[in-house]
Amino acid sequence: MKKLILISGLILMISCQEKSKLDPNVNPFFQDWTTPYEVPPFMDIKNEDYMPAFKKGMEENLAEIEVIIKNAEAPTFANTIEELERTGKLLSKVQRVFSNLASSNTNPKLQELQRELSPMLSAHYDKIVLNEDLFNRVEEIWNNRENTDLTKEQQKLLKDTRKQFVRSGALLNDSQKKQITEINSKLSELSTEFGQNLLAETNGFELILNKSDLDGLSDAVVSAASEAASQKMDQAESEEEKEKYKDKYVFTPHRTSMYPFLTESTRRDLREELYNSYVMRGDNGNETDNNDIAAQMAKLRAERANIMGHKTHADFILEENMLKTPDEVYDLLIQLWKPALKRAKVEVADMQAVADLEGKDFKIAAWDWWHYSEKVRKEKYDLDEAAIRPYLSLDNVIQGVFNTTNKLWGLNFREIFDIDSYHPDARIWEVTDKDGSHLAIFIGDYFTRSNKRGGAWMSSFKGQSNLDGRQRPIVVNVCNFPAPVGDNPSLLSFENAITLFHEFGHAMHGILTDVTYGSMAGTSGPRDFIELPSQLLEHWVSEPEVLKSFATHYETGETIPDELIEKLLKAGKFNQGFINTEYLAASLLDMDWHTMSEVDAQKISNNFEKNSMNKIGLIDEIAPRYRSTYFAHIFSGGYSSGYYSYVHAAVLDSDAFEAFKEVGNVFDPELSSKLRKEIYEKGSTEEAMDLYVNFRGRKPIIEPLLKIRGLDGSSD
Amino acid sequence: MGLAKKILFFGLFFISFSSYSHNPEKLVISEIERGQLNFENETIAAEYGAALKRQRIRRLSAMSWSKKMYIFIKAGFEHIIPEGIDHILFVLGLFFSTLKLRSLILQVTAFTFAHSITLALAALGFVKLQLSVVEPLIFLSIVWVAVENTLFEKTTKWRPFVVFSFGLLHGLGFATLLTQYGLPKDNFISLLLAFNVGVEFGQLSVLLMAFILVRIIFMKTKYKNQLKIPASVLIGLTGLYWFIESLI
Repeated sequence: MKKLILISGLILMISCQEKSKLDPNVNPFFQDWTTPYEVPPFMDIKNEDYMPAFKKGMEENLAEIEVIIKNAEAPTFANTIEELERTGKLLSKVQRVFSNLASSNTNPKLQELQRELSPMLSAHYDKIVLNEDLFNRVEEIWNNRENTDLTKEQQKLLKDTRKQFVRSGALLNDSQKKQITEINSKLSELSTEFGQNLLAETNGFELILNKSDLDGLSDAVVSAASEAASQKMDQAESEEEKEKYKDKYVFTPHRTSMYPFLTESTRRDLREELYNSYVMRGDNGNETDNNDIAAQMAKLRAERANIMGHKTHADFILEENMLKTPDEVYDLLIQLWKPALKRAKVEVADMQAVADLEGKDFKIAAWDWWHYSEKVRKEKYDLDEAAIRPYLSLDNVIQGVFNTTNKLWGLNFREIFDIDSYHPDARIWEVTDKDGSHLAIFIGDYFTRSNKRGGAWMSSFKGQSNLDGRQRPIVVNVCNFPAPVGDNPSLLSFENAITLFHEFGHAMHGILTDVTYGSMAGTSGPRDFIELPSQLLEHWVSEPEVLKSFATHYETGETIPDELIEKLLKAGKFNQGFINTEYLAASLLDMDWHTMSEVDAQKISNNFEKNSMNKIGLIDEIAPRYRSTYFAHIFSGGYSSGYYSYVHAAVLDSDAFEAFKEVGNVFDPELSSKLRKEIYEKGSTEEAMDLYVNFRGRKPIIEPLLKIRGLDGSSD
Repeated sequence: MGLAKKILFFGLFFISFSSYSHNPEKLVISEIERGQLNFENETIAAEYGAALKRQRIRRLSAMSWSKKMYIFIKAGFEHIIPEGIDHILFVLGLFFSTLKLRSLILQVTAFTFAHSITLALAALGFVKLQLSVVEPLIFLSIVWVAVENTLFEKTTKWRPFVVFSFGLLHGLGFATLLTQYGLPKDNFISLLLAFNVGVEFGQLSVLLMAFILVRIIFMKTKYKNQLKIPASVLIGLTGLYWFIESLI
């Protein structure tokens, strides 16, 4: 034990953080944060502090609304819309910390709180958005807008604020309002049920294998499967059940378990079994079947759209987006669909050729795709992932993204050590502008850990606003990169590096933002637009010039060789037919589900998905990225009529990056500054399409995307 | 790039807030990857510990060279005084073994030389031993020196070699702690040296204090009989107690 004293002595000397000056007897959310840059005093916040702060935050919020309503003066932009912007500060303060930590550094208590808070919060926001007195004031200002002198930004804020009320049913009569509330609550139940069923179905299937069934599998895959089996044994309750897993190997329809198996296993029968278990999830006619739930949800959504005065649910959703109508979305998807499907057919032929050469006597099927595409990949795009990692240490890639934004916009980053973060792996930087002024705090939390949600995301602990003085944001990126082993640095895959640039693109949107009203800052724009700033930044990581500036071998210091870069970029075109086809099929399926009129929705047949896919000519070798019964994005997430957003943003980012290519300089000063001013700084202060046109000088076109993905016929 | 993967990665993770958000949908954090979260305390603590070490190394790398040197010299020193009571006892064991300055210097030099070697080797990762193995052996070395002091009138000519091998052991003790703590790669050698220098200062201070105390208090008495035996017995018993305790 006394040995530990030495360590703690050293630690103290090196950590010497400033102690926060908070009163330990008072809830930290009720005190002003005197920490540098108002970084939340993470070390002082305890699990028990959240609930009281939420409650008080909601109370205060409602009281503030009450003051606005009770104002005897006639409603004006300043005394209503602007005042609304000032409300809910405490609630926002606690909510930002809570929501972030409940995902990135969670614990059972926070999980429980999250379940408890979710209905409380939605009830709270309903109280505001369904408040008739408040809406009446907003409406009065809206009707008077022609006679008021408002800036462009204020006009947009007025419009957005009003729209939120209207979209929640403010213009409806009482019986309609009641209907909407009922539909919403049914939808929310159904969507929860959908998610639970999906989880049960995914966990419900196991491929339990003997040693003799492992043909073709690499050691890593085998040991993961054996580990899965021993975990099952530990969880087993009866001896009998334990026996079932003894010395066995387990694979499941979770993608992380399934993909390696489908890629490596030479047992076609087993590939088929596992693959089918995956694509049949929620479609097994048992008590966790999702077919009926999906149909019911489509019906309810169509009904709600009708009440709201829209033809279909998609019309209702798209009203808020950059693409405004279902026709525009279909147009885009179909334009991409044809070249993608054509490319996919070439890929099938390539794989069939490999199978034929092996003397196999079968036609390539959906469950063969991973196995045979891997063989094609090795042959045509021979790229050893392991050869790249040594050049991509996490610190190198971070430096790379910092350099990129430095060259684009003159930003500088300084790591700060004297502020406590919420976890020692969550690093803190101060971002300064080219004139040296403070721009933002950036927190990068990159390594995977057991109490962090999977995936990668951007969020913020503090928003940006210029309403009452200059308030700069605190932005965070959370990723799930492999933590380093021992004293070695964390070495990323190229895919990881792209993810880092992507999330940093979101972060840039949150960091460079410079708007008056906080609710319009940074990433507040429509869903089919907000992926533009992130996906756009990805293009720089693939630029040889940029790669060479940071990708040096972690042991030898050697710069990444040209030959490797060439292979890397070529590999980006591999399997694009498949990837785009499965994605576009799912996007079209999403649109089909949500462009039904209320009448059509009454007679959804069991063949709905099949008909929908036949209509576009999807080939048997590919299933939609998500089949209806496990399409969580649209049935238990917030992406209904929105799954197309990813590719829409991809059209935008490819076209936007093309602008830099056209001038032959990926750091062209004039374009960079235009990009910053028109896209990254603007938040949602203007219509997204206007922002884009301001930058590009014209509307986006799809050709650059086709070229980048090898769908322009050049890879055939 | 790989669109499919990206969708998986970014899924619905996009969390968007607005300061007055009237729209409840914007507050929902939906996860498309409903992976199992692991709340096992041991795993979380281990991950936290590894992260702390990474953080310390980053902090150190950002410090000026002189500050880093200072910190490691100080750490080495404190590892002897006041925290390394076991090392203090060992050094005192050496002190009480002989009246001759030459012999003492020889032993201390052998000890220092030896523990520097193993400290370097272990810190570089060439040698690895669990603290649970090294620690009891260190305690035994204290006992051994004390026993030798008590039983033999004069130190044997083998003594420097025995002390040398004990030194190897103590070096491993230093190293386990240092590696647990973490040394930044870029200043590895200099910081290792700094830590070692700190340890030597600590050792020399112990000897100096012991020397002064003994000189002042026992100037006139016959040092050997009065002090060597009882001090060594005390040292030996303490070492024995620690040894037994470390095994339990």
